[in-house]
Amino acid sequence: MARSAETAAKDKKITWKEIKRQKVLLIWSAIIVVYGFIFYYLPLGGWIMAFQNYKPKDGLLHSKFIGLDKFKFLFTDGTFIQVVRNTVAMGVINLVVTFVMAIVFAILLNEVKNNFGKKSVQTISYLPHFLSWIIVTGILHDALSGTGIINELLMRFHFIDQPINFFAHPGYFWPIVAFANVWKETGWNAIIYLAAITAIDPSLYEAASMDGAGRWAKIKHITLPSIRPTIMILLLMNVGNVLNAGFEIQYLLGNGLVKSVSETIDIYVLKWGISQNDFSLGTAAGIFKSVVSIILIVIANQLAKRAGEERLF
Amino acid sequence: MKKRRIMAVFMTAALAASVLGGCGGSTDSNSSADNSNSADNSNSADNSVPAISENSGNEDNSSSNGSGDIIEFTAFFATPGAEINDDNEIQQLIAEKTNVKVKETWLTGQTASEAVGTIVAGGEYPDFIDGGDAMAALYDAGALVAWDDYIDKYPNIKEFYTDEEWDKFRQEDGHIYWMNAFQNIYGEDKTTTHNDEAFWVQARVLEWANYPKIQTLDQYFELLDSYAEANPTMEDGTAIIPYTVLCEDWRYFCIENAPQFLDGYPNDGSCIVDPETLTVIDYNTTDTAYRYFKKLNEEYHAGNIDPESFTQTYDEYIAKLSTGRVLGMCDQWWDFSATVNDVFKQQGLDKKGCNYVPLGLTIDEGMENQWYTSGGTLNVSSGLGISVSCKNVDAAFKFVDDLLSQEIHNLRYWGVEGVDYQVDENGLFYRTEEQRMNASDTAYKASHICSYSYFPNWLGTSRDGINAMQPTEQPFEFMDSLAEPVVKCFEAYGVSTYPGMLGSVNKAGKWYPMYSFSNTMTTATPGGVAWTKMGEVKHEWLPKIVMMDNFDDAWEQYMEVYSACKPEDFISEMQAELDRRVAQ
Amino acid sequence: MNKKKTSAADKAFTIFNTIFMVAFVVITLYPVLNTLAISLNDGIDTVRGGIYLFPRKFTLKNYQTVLQTQNLKIGAYITVARTIIGTLLALVLNAILAFIVSRKKFLFKSQLSLFWVITMYVNGGMIPTFLVYKGLGLTNSFWVYVIPGMISAFNMLVLRTYMQGLPDSLEESAQLDGAGYTVIFTKIISPLCKPVYATIALFVAVYQWNSWFDAMLYNRMSSQYTTLQYELMKLLSSVMQQSGSADAAKNTAAAVTPASVRAAATIATMLPIVCLYPFLQRYFVTGLTIGGVKE
Repeated sequence: MARSAETAAKDKKITWKEIKRQKVLLIWSAIIVVYGFIFYYLPLGGWIMAFQNYKPKDGLLHSKFIGLDKFKFLFTDGTFIQVVRNTVAMGVINLVVTFVMAIVFAILLNEVKNNFGKKSVQTISYLPHFLSWIIVTGILHDALSGTGIINELLMRFHFIDQPINFFAHPGYFWPIVAFANVWKETGWNAIIYLAAITAIDPSLYEAASMDGAGRWAKIKHITLPSIRPTIMILLLMNVGNVLNAGFEIQYLLGNGLVKSVSETIDIYVLKWGISQNDFSLGTAAGIFKSVVSIILIVIANQLAKRAGEERLF
Repeated sequence: MKKRRIMAVFMTAALAASVLGGCGGSTDSNSSADNSNSADNSNSADNSVPAISENSGNEDNSSSNGSGDIIEFTAFFATPGAEINDDNEIQQLIAEKTNVKVKETWLTGQTASEAVGTIVAGGEYPDFIDGGDAMAALYDAGALVAWDDYIDKYPNIKEFYTDEEWDKFRQEDGHIYWMNAFQNIYGEDKTTTHNDEAFWVQARVLEWANYPKIQTLDQYFELLDSYAEANPTMEDGTAIIPYTVLCEDWRYFCIENAPQFLDGYPNDGSCIVDPETLTVIDYNTTDTAYRYFKKLNEEYHAGNIDPESFTQTYDEYIAKLSTGRVLGMCDQWWDFSATVNDVFKQQGLDKKGCNYVPLGLTIDEGMENQWYTSGGTLNVSSGLGISVSCKNVDAAFKFVDDLLSQEIHNLRYWGVEGVDYQVDENGLFYRTEEQRMNASDTAYKASHICSYSYFPNWLGTSRDGINAMQPTEQPFEFMDSLAEPVVKCFEAYGVSTYPGMLGSVNKAGKWYPMYSFSNTMTTATPGGVAWTKMGEVKHEWLPKIVMMDNFDDAWEQYMEVYSACKPEDFISEMQAELDRRVAQ
Repeated sequence: MNKKKTSAADKAFTIFNTIFMVAFVVITLYPVLNTLAISLNDGIDTVRGGIYLFPRKFTLKNYQTVLQTQNLKIGAYITVARTIIGTLLALVLNAILAFIVSRKKFLFKSQLSLFWVITMYVNGGMIPTFLVYKGLGLTNSFWVYVIPGMISAFNMLVLRTYMQGLPDSLEESAQLDGAGYTVIFTKIISPLCKPVYATIALFVAVYQWNSWFDAMLYNRMSSQYTTLQYELMKLLSSVMQQSGSADAAKNTAAAVTPASVRAAATIATMLPIVCLYPFLQRYFVTGLTIGGVKE
C-alpha cells in the first residue's frame, strides 16, 4: 500500500511524456472543467449580492454596495446564533442516525438468505423516499397526536396516564426530526451500500466459512472492511452538509412553542430575506453556509488523509 | 455562438454515450433508442431557441393556433391558482367576442417575491402581471406600463373606481400602474356572507341557549362552557371541545388579532387607528389585549380550550372542526368554511346545527364593533398591471374593458345561459342543483368555466338592477344553500345574512386597510425589522402566555421581550403612512 | 464444539434479522399504504381523519382529477425524454469523470476532485443561476432539464470509490497489452461497474423524474416544455388555493381536497419508478464475481 502511494507520487511528476500518455484523460478533464466552471462557478458571481442592497431592477451590476452590512445583521442578531445551533444540532443528529441506520440495514439485508424476501424488503424499503415531507409529517402528526397510536400504546401499557403533547415540548423535537429522516430515507440511502456490497468477491466469504467464521465474524472481517471506502466517502461528504439540516420538515413540524429549537438557517433566511424581497440576506447566509461547509470538509479530509483513509480529494 | 458550442459539446457527449453504451450488451437496444430520441430533441430545441430570443416577450403570438384575428396574451399572477384547459369553452366564447385570449399562469412552489425576482432578472414579462406582495418590485424595475393615458379611453375601466380612488393607486412618480381586481361593489351591496374574521359559534349552541344576546368575550365563553357542561359528548360519544385555536404559521391571526376587534376597530391588520385623534395604536399591548389573553388563559386552565390548540396543524384543525365537536373559535370564514361546510353536509351534521354563525364580540358591553366593514376594501398595494413586454397595449386595455362589460362579466361569473344558469320570468338568474354541482366540479371548471378571476371583477348588483354580479351573492342561491338550523338562527335574531349577525354597518376610514402598507414593509427600514421581530415574538409567546400557570408573570415576561423588538419603530412608520393617507 | 456454537449464534442471528426486517417492512410500508388508502378515499370524507390502511369511502375521483390535468400528455412525453436523455448523459459523463480521477497516475487527480467537491457546497443563488442559463440560451428550452446538473460531485464520488476498489492489476495488464485509456474505460472498467452504474442511473432517473422546479423557473412561459411533475404541482397548488378562498365557499361538495389529490398524485408518479426498479435491482442484489486478481 505504502509502496504504491510512493510510486504514484513519483509518477505524478508532470512530464511531456506523461502528458502525452494521458492525452485522452486530459482532454476530457478540460471539457468537464469548462462545463463545471460555467454551471457551478459562474453563478457564484451572484455572491456579490451579499455585499449589495440588491434590487432586481438594478441587477447585479448596478445595485448599491453596502459592504458587510448583511453579515453584520446576521451575526449580531441573537436569533441567528440560535438557528445556527439548531441547524448544527439537527444536522449532526440526523447525520449520525441516518448514516448508521442505512449501513446497518444494508448489511442486515445482505444477510437475508431468501432471495425473494431480500428483493421484496429492498423494494419496500426505499418507497418512503418518494413521499413528500408534507405527507410524512402529516402521518407523523397523526401518530403522535393526543389520540394517536403512540399515546394510545403508551397509555395502554401504563407508561403514562395523560397523553403527551409531543409537539409542545422542545425536548422531543430533535428526536422526532431524526426519526422522520430515518423513516423516510434509510432504504434509499442503503442502496449505495448494497451496490458496494455486491462488489465483494464471494470467494472471500467461502474461505471464511471454511475457517469456521460465523456470520458476525464475516460481517466484521469481510463486509464492513470492503465497504469501508464507500462509508468513508459518504461520511466525508455529509460532514460538509451538517448545515443543510433542512427546511421543509422543521417548517412543517414546528410551531410557536418549539420555535426556539425548530428553526433552521434556511427557515430564518426565508423569514428575513426572501419573503421580504431581500435577496441579499439570503445570499449572505448562503455564503456563510458554504464557507463553513468547505472548512469542515477540508478539516475532515485532512484527518482522513492522516489516518490513511479514503478521502474526497 | 456560445450556445452553439455548448450544444456541440453535448452532441459529442451523446455520441459518446452511444459508443460506450455498446459494450454493455444488454443495454444495446436501450441506448440506440435513446439516441434517436436525443437527436429529435436537439432538433426541436434548435428550432425554438432562436425564435424565442428574437421575440422575447410574446412568443405565444408566433405560436398561436392560427385561429384568425384572435390575439393571445400571457398573464402571470403571483398567487396559487387553477389553470384552465387550453380548449376551455367559455374562454373560447369570450375570445370570439373580444378577439383576445389570455393564457394564465400562477404561482407554484415559490414565494411571490422569488417569482417576481426571477422574472425581473430575466427581463421577459408576461403581458399581464399581478406581482402580489412583490408588486412594488415590478414598478421599481420599470416593468409596467403607465395607465394614465389609457384610463379615460376605456369607460368600463374608468368606471371601476372614482377619481379619488384612482389617485390612491398613484406611485411616487405620480402615475398609475395597476388596478386592484377585487372587493369592488357595483350598485347595491349584495353581500350575504361574512367572509372575514369573527368569533364563530355553532348554531345549535345558540338554539340550546334559546338565542341569547351575546356581546362580550365573557358571555361567549360562558355560553360555550355551559353548553359543553350540559352536553359533554357528541352523539357518537366523542367529547365536545368548547373552543380551539389555530396557531399554525401565518394562520396564527386566529389568536393574534382579536384585540383590535374586541376594542371595536376594523381589521387594519397590524394596528388600530383612532379615528378621532388619527393616531396609530398598537393593539398588542392594550388593556383589552391583556384581558383577552387572561381570559384565554383562564379558560385554558379550566379545560375549556383544546389542549392541542397550539400544536395542531391546519389539516388537523380542519379535521377537528369537521367532526362537529368544536363549538366555537375565532377565524376567518374563508379559512375554514368551504371544507368544513362540505363535510358537515356529507355527514348530515348541518341538519344538527353544527354550522357556524358569527358573533360581533367586544370586550365590554354596549360597544360598536367593526368585525364587518361594508363597502368593500380597496387594497392599492397590488393588482393587475400591463407589462412593457406587451406588444399591443391598446388591445390589452380594451380586453380589460371588455371583461367589465355586463355581457362578458355574466359569462365570466354566471356562465352560459341555459347551460350554467337559468333565467326566470322576472329576469332573475338561478341555478339548478345540477348546475350548482357543475360549478364546483374541478374538471368541469377546467374545461368549461373561465372567470379570469384575477382580472377586475365586480361584486354587488348587476347592471340589470335585479341580479347579483356573482352567483355567490344571489339571494336565492344563498338562502337555498343555508342549513335549516342556520335559517332558524337568523330568524331568531331577525337577520337575513351573516353580516346581519354582527350587526355593524360601519364603513372604515379612508386610510383602511393599514395592512396594505405593513405587508410591503421590508427589513430595509427599522420599522420593518421591528415588524418582523414582533411577529416572531408573538408566534412564540402568545401560546405560552395562554398556557403558563401564572398569567400575570407570563404577561410581564412577554411584554419585556415584546418591547425589546422596538415596536415603536414600527408604529412611527405606520403613523407616517397614516398621515400620508389622510392627507391624500 | 466450536462449530456448534457458531451455528447456534447463526441461528440467533437469523431470528434477530428476520424480526428486524419484518419490523422494518411494517414501519416503512405504513406511510405508503396510508397514502394509497387516502388516494382511494373520498376527499371530503378524508378530512374527518381516521384513514389508516383501507379507504372508508372508496372512490377513483382523486385519480380522475389527477388524470384530467392539463398537458398531461406533453408533460409525460417531456418527462420521459428528460429522464432517458438526462440519465444517459449524466451516467456517461459522471463515469468518465470518475474514471479519470480514479486513475492513480492521473496528473491532476486531487485538483480535479477538489474542483468538483467544492461544487457540492456552493450555490450562486436562484437569480444569478437564472441569468447564467438565460445567457446560455437555456431558458425556454428542453435542454435546461438535462444540461445543468449533468455532472454531480456526489455521483462522481460514488463512482470513483467503486472504481478505486477494482484491482489495479486490471489496468496494468491491459496497458501491457497496449490498450489506451478509452479501451480500459469501455472494455475493462465499465463492465465491472454495473452495480454502481445501476445505482447512479437510478439516482439520476429519480431526480429527473421528480423534478419540476426547473420547468417552472425556466420554462414558465413555454408550455410545450412542461413536465409531468410541474403539471401535478400546479394542480396541487390550485386545489390548495380553492380550499382557502372565498370563491370556494360553495354549498356543494368539492369532492377533492388537497390531501387526497396529493396522495393520488404521489402514488401515480411513484408507480413508474417502482416498476423500473426490479430491472435495476438485479444489479445490486446478487453479487458479481470480479474476474482477475484481488490485491
